[in-house]
Order: sequence, then structure tokens, then C-alpha cells
Amino acid sequence: MNAPIIDPLQGDFPEVIEEYLEHGVIKCVAFNHRGSLLAAGCADGGCVIFDFETRGIAKELRENDCAAAITSVSWSKYGHRLLVSAADKSLTLWDVSTGEKIARTTLQQTPLHARLNPGLSSPSLCLACPLSSAPMIVDFEIGCTTLLPVSVPEMPDVLAPQQRSKCAESGPPFSPAAACFNKCGDLVYVGNAKGEILIVDYKSVRVLALVPVTGGSAVKNIVFSRNGQYLLTNSHDRTIRIYENLLPGKNVLSSLEELGKNVDGLDGVEKMKTVGSKCLTLFREFQDLVTKMHWKAPCFSGDGEWVVGGSACKGEHKIYIWDRAGHLVKILEGPKEALIDLAWHPVHPVIVSVSLTGLVYIWAKDYTENWSAFAPDFKELEENEEYVEREDEFDLIPETGKVKVSSVNEDEEVDIETVEKDAFSDSDMSVEELRYLPAEPIPDTNEEEQDELKLIEARISASPASEEAGQNGHVADHTSSPLGEEMGETRGKRKRKPSEKAMELQAEKAKSSKASGRTVREKSRASGDQEIDGSVNGVDDDDDDAYF
Amino acid sequence: MPSGGNGVGNGAVNAGTSGNTPTFKPYRHLKTLEGHAAAISCVKFSNDGNLLASASLDKTMILWSATNYSLIHRYEGHASGVSDLAWSSDSHYTCSASDDCTLRIWDARSPYECLKVLRGHTNFVFCVNFNPPSNLIVSGSFDETIRIWEVKTGRCVRVIKAHSMPLTSVHFNRDGSLIVSGSHDGSCKIWDAKEGTCLKTLIDDKSPAVSFAKFSPNGKFILVATLDSTLKLSNYATGKFIKVYTGHTNKVFCITSAFSVTNGKYIVSGSEDNCVYLWDLQHKTILQRLQGHTDAVISVSCHPVQNQIASSANHLDKTIRIWTQDA
Repeated sequence: MNAPIIDPLQGDFPEVIEEYLEHGVIKCVAFNHRGSLLAAGCADGGCVIFDFETRGIAKELRENDCAAAITSVSWSKYGHRLLVSAADKSLTLWDVSTGEKIARTTLQQTPLHARLNPGLSSPSLCLACPLSSAPMIVDFEIGCTTLLPVSVPEMPDVLAPQQRSKCAESGPPFSPAAACFNKCGDLVYVGNAKGEILIVDYKSVRVLALVPVTGGSAVKNIVFSRNGQYLLTNSHDRTIRIYENLLPGKNVLSSLEELGKNVDGLDGVEKMKTVGSKCLTLFREFQDLVTKMHWKAPCFSGDGEWVVGGSACKGEHKIYIWDRAGHLVKILEGPKEALIDLAWHPVHPVIVSVSLTGLVYIWAKDYTENWSAFAPDFKELEENEEYVEREDEFDLIPETGKVKVSSVNEDEEVDIETVEKDAFSDSDMSVEELRYLPAEPIPDTNEEEQDELKLIEARISASPASEEAGQNGHVADHTSSPLGEEMGETRGKRKRKPSEKAMELQAEKAKSSKASGRTVREKSRASGDQEIDGSVNGVDDDDDDAYF
Repeated sequence: MPSGGNGVGNGAVNAGTSGNTPTFKPYRHLKTLEGHAAAISCVKFSNDGNLLASASLDKTMILWSATNYSLIHRYEGHASGVSDLAWSSDSHYTCSASDDCTLRIWDARSPYECLKVLRGHTNFVFCVNFNPPSNLIVSGSFDETIRIWEVKTGRCVRVIKAHSMPLTSVHFNRDGSLIVSGSHDGSCKIWDAKEGTCLKTLIDDKSPAVSFAKFSPNGKFILVATLDSTLKLSNYATGKFIKVYTGHTNKVFCITSAFSVTNGKYIVSGSEDNCVYLWDLQHKTILQRLQGHTDAVISVSCHPVQNQIASSANHLDKTIRIWTQDA
């Protein structure tokens, strides 16, 4: 809807830090489906939800018996539920609108990464990737965990062993594997330490396909783009690889089964690899050949056009942005603090990065004023155009009166009601999406009112309307300046030692709660006049006393 | 008191209609509400249609029931007359803009407290609106600035130096990403709500002053009223005015207009000749003139569900009149 008037010439990626959010020490962030809410997990075990439009806190989720740092947060598809994994090996499922805990389990190891099933509207199923064991599916309703296979054994027709138990037995020691759901949530893509991507059907715990990653080094992160068309892997060989997903959007399982059947004469690993080659193809590779740095928290932009990765070097806060064709378009540099998490806004060109100090930096486009916006008939030109004037352009008396022929058909039907379908709503919008948490105004207390009154009156009398009053993250300390400015004014006019008058004015202000700045100044002026007349010394002390 | 002559004779159906458009059923006077001691600057139905709020220069705001039109509560607290009010989307809160340079957020549920006072403007606050998620409030003032406030904490999120003369109206669009503002300096501008940058200027003549501007329900069109007795509907993406509505009188006051979409599409507006005007949206013809007020009709509001219009008038009248259309 807004597309026609927003300038399409600028690239669609952020450029500068706009502001920062602060709430204790934040460890990880996640946007909800539309990017209207940002969930942040803190080092003290609490989770806070920011309203991204107002940049204020919308809700706090805190459990009294959980004091361990949060390792990851994940939203359900429609934003009703939030999954939080913590360093005390627990997984907690919260209901966002009520702020109540739905379920909580404890695992054998600390889950580094936990994701709710993106296919269900009220998921109770999630994928957890612990520090040193295979990724597992945790079902909150049934209360069981299922380990997922991390490799395909070399022997033919041996399916990965099923392990269904109340508490997960730790299998053979695996190095950490990364895993993610596909878009509809019926498959899990596992990236293992051998540099292979396994496509696993988690319900039957079977590996359906295998895709070897070039280079064969361990896969650290594996992420899908929002539309499910592209897959990204971050490997130990400091390369980010983009794969194109060849599987269809719906009914993925049946198409995979079809593919499996069509491959004849092959068994075991070979069969997996062949099926795998029909599921994913390597599209691009990104690496920094100069610094050869490791990447941290790579992800796609909301529309899948850009790929962003943070540098994992300590002491620097660098964010690399590539377009999908493989060109590096931008390197964003932040303050000298290590980067620990990154998220791209699902809709707007905004990036949110979490630094080691616990601050969340919001990166956005640097907006320049569009000069053509100030007059209705201005038009921005790419380059100079030759203007050929009309014959009678400079005539004093124009030959014909300029009649602006309205090219608009005034009888056209106007539709003021229908709204186009959102690009972000899926066809099965049976469940109402939770976009915003209701903003309930916090009632003012009396003390706050008195303080505010004094502040505002001083501000009104001292200076004209100030910019950006009190934004989050910006230091807005107006308490000292207004009174100081007033002092300056009276000082300039009187050029006397104003310490007595300063005391008077201060006393006046403290007494009257409703007195406007103007009346106070008038009073002081009156008393000042008296003093001038009555006093002996006409010496102008220009000394600037520091009387505060 | 039923008033005579509500203009049935003027309700001539446009000649050019084809067979399928329904004939216009005229509105008739239903009720007169008295309760204010001075001119009423604004009336608005809540979004759920259960409540009606009215703001007046007598420094108070009254909450009425929209089912039986009885007085529920009178909000007192402002130090000067109230120029505008707005409802939150969930109909729980109202916000009023006053000449005492503040805005107040009131609870529309018992015990009807004043929850917050928003301070920051340095002159009369003239217009106010919530955004659709109702986590932000936009206000326009005689100090020529637009301020955006966070509802939860009352903090001023942004100040936009918008115009060179007092602002007359501000309104968010359907998804809260744009703000339209009109001012006495004759311009009507569209702002990016997130960044505070000007995206477009619709009119830029020094006169006549723009007295009212609002988005259509789907956010694609802007209805602009100017103090030369004209109402214009503009497609803001192209910047062209596609419909013009005239016939009423509007040269002095900032009269509000509304879209009526419950039963046929109309534009409703007050007028300085003491009537409420209804135009057909597509054909621009005057469908009806509702008579009964005894002074200029300053504000109109359409019920979100039922075919009812509330109108309020100036000093000599001090009443709110409810008009209904029998379906």
C-alpha cells in the first residue's frame, strides 16, 4: 500500500544504528511473524517482549525459580506462544497474551537452540539442539523426547534406531549438530559434524535424504529463509552456503517418498544421496577471503533477498550483508563489542544485533528527506533534463488562460473499503494472529505529576519545543538545563550578581506548583528593578557564578 | 423532540443511477442529548459501537451509552476547553486534547479515571488520534508540531515540526505506518509514522486553510476539507483529487467529516448553516440535509455498525443530536 510513494532507488538494507534497547543483559532475540514484537532473553533468566513500534516494553515473562541465562527464544507461527531455553537445561513454553507458563521440561543437556514447530498454530512440539548431543524433538503434551539421527550408517537398509523414552538417553557422543524445521514443519534438516545435511522425518525418525556439503566440515548453523525456498548453512570452514530448496511447499513428505521410490538400483547411503540431490542444490557460497573469519548467527532477510552474517571475532561488531547473487553489499560496523546474536526484521529493512554487553542495537536505513515530498507537483529527476519553454512562457499577458485540464475521470467508482490481502498472511488464516499486546496506560502517580509540571513549565518559558524528548537510549536530561537557561536570560538582562535572585527564583518555583514560568520571571523582574534603583554599586559583575 | 423538515424533499435520488443501486432512505432525528454548558467540539462513537463520547469547551468530556443514550459519566480535569477526542481500538480508553496544552487518557470503564496526562506541547492541542494497535497516540497542536506518544508510559516518542501554522487534524492510516496532517497554512502532508519524515504533500496553496483530513477505511484515499466550503477525496498515491463535494458552508470552523459505510457509501459532514450534509460517495450529489441544530454543526460521527449519525453543534445550540436511518 505504501509502495508508490516510498523511494525505490535506495537499497533495502539498513545502514546505521538508530537506537538501542536495554533491559538487563540480553542474550538472544527473536522477532514474531510480523516483526511487531521482539522477544529478548536475558542473562538473569527472564524474558522481555518489546513492542517494536514504540520501542517500549510490552510484557515481561519471568519465572521465579529460573535464574539461569536464556540461550534462545522462539515464537510460534501466529505469535501466541514463546519457547524459551535456558542454561539450566530447561525448556519453558509460555502463553504470550496471558504471560502464563504453559509447560516446562528439563533435558539432559543445556539446549543451545530451541525452535517451535512452525507449521502448527498452537505448537507443543519443538526441536532442541543441545550442546553435546544429537538434536531432539521434545513434545510437551506427551512429555517425551526423541533423539534424531545425526548420521546415516554405511551399512545398507539400516534405519536409525528409534529411541522413544521418557527421558532421553544420551547416545554415542556426537559433536554438536545444527537442525531446523522446514517451512511447514513436517521435516527436520540436520547439519552434522561430518558436513552433511540430513533430511529427517521426525515422526518416524527416518533419514529420508542426504546432501553432502562441499568441503565436508562441520555445520554450525542451518537456517531456512522465510518463504522456505532457500536454506543457509554456516560451516566450520568459515563459509556460508546457500542452497535452493527444490521440494514443493506442501505435501513434502509424499513427494520425498515418491522420489525415494523412483530411485531404483540404489540402497542406503547412495540412495539417500541421490534423493538428496533432488531436494537441495548449492546456489552460492559466501566467505571473507581476506580475513577468513568465522561467522555467527547468519540468517536471511525477510524477503530472502539478502543474507546477513555477523563476524564471530571478539572485540568487533561487524555485520556483513550480501545479496543473494553473492555480492557483498555492505559491512555494518558497530561499537567495539562482540556480537552474539542477530535478527533481520521480517518486513522492514531493519536489523537487530545483540552485543556482548547485553544491549540490543537497532540498525535501520538512514533516512534523508525526500525534497520532492514538500510540494505536490515536485518530481525527483535522476539527471538534469533540458527544459524547452513554450512560446508564450515569458509573455507578460499570456494568450490563453491556463486551463488545467483535469485528466482524472471524476465519475470513476471509488472503493474506500476493500483491503488488499497482505503479502504476509498465508492462505490458511484460520487462527487470529497475535500482532500486538494491548497497551494499557500505566496510571500516573501524584508525585510524577508534580515533577512533570515543574519540568514542562520551565521548558516552556526557557526554550522552544525540543527534539526527540526522552527517547529510549538517548540521554535526555532536561532537569538541569531549563532553570540554567532562565538564569542566563535574567543574567544577560541585568548583568548583576544574581545569586540572591537565583535563590528567590528557586524558592518561588519550589513553592508554586501551578505557577507558569512567565509569572515567576515577571516577579523577579519587578524585584530586580527595585534592586537596581535602591542599590549603590553599578558595577557589572560579569562573573558567571556557579550557583548550583 | 422531533424536529420538522429533515429535508425529505431534498433527498432526491440521483438521476444517473442504474437499477441495482438502492434508493436512499432518509435519516430522521432520533434523540437530542443535552449536558454540556458550552459549544461541543467533538463527538465520536466507540469502535465497538456501545459508547459515545463528546468533548466540549466547557472543559469536560461526557461518556454516553450508545444503546439508550443515557449519560454514563462526566470527565472533569482539564483546565481549559477540550478540542478533540479519540477512542482506542478496543474501546477501553479515550484520549482528549485540550487548550491547557495537555492530552489526557481516560478509562472508558468504571471507575472512569484519568489514567495519564501527556505533557509536552507548548500551545493548545487541537487534534488527537490513536493508531490502530492503540499503542501510540498522535496529536497536533497550535505550536505547529505533531507529537507521537507511547500509550503505555506516556512518553513522547517523536516531535515533528510539521507546519508553519496551527495544525487542524492528524490521523493514522489503517496499518499505522502513515500520518496525514492538515494545517491552517493550507497544506496537507503525509508523514512516515516510524521515521517522522515527510513522504508527500497533497496541497500546498497558502489558502484556503485545510480544516480536516483523514484516511478512508482502507487507507487508500484521503478526505480533505478546506475552508472554502469544499470537501475533496484524493487518491494519495497519485496525488490527484478524484471527487469534490460541495454545497455546504465551511469557512470558519474546523468541521469534522466522516465516511458512512454501514448502508451505502456516503460522506457526512457538518456545516455552518446548521445542517448535517450527506453526499453520495460516488456521484457527489447531496442526498440529504439534516436540519434541527440551531448553530453551526462542528462535529459528526457515524456509528460503526448501525445506521446512526451523531452530530454536535456550537455555542448557541450546545446539544448532540442522534439521527437514524430506518433500514
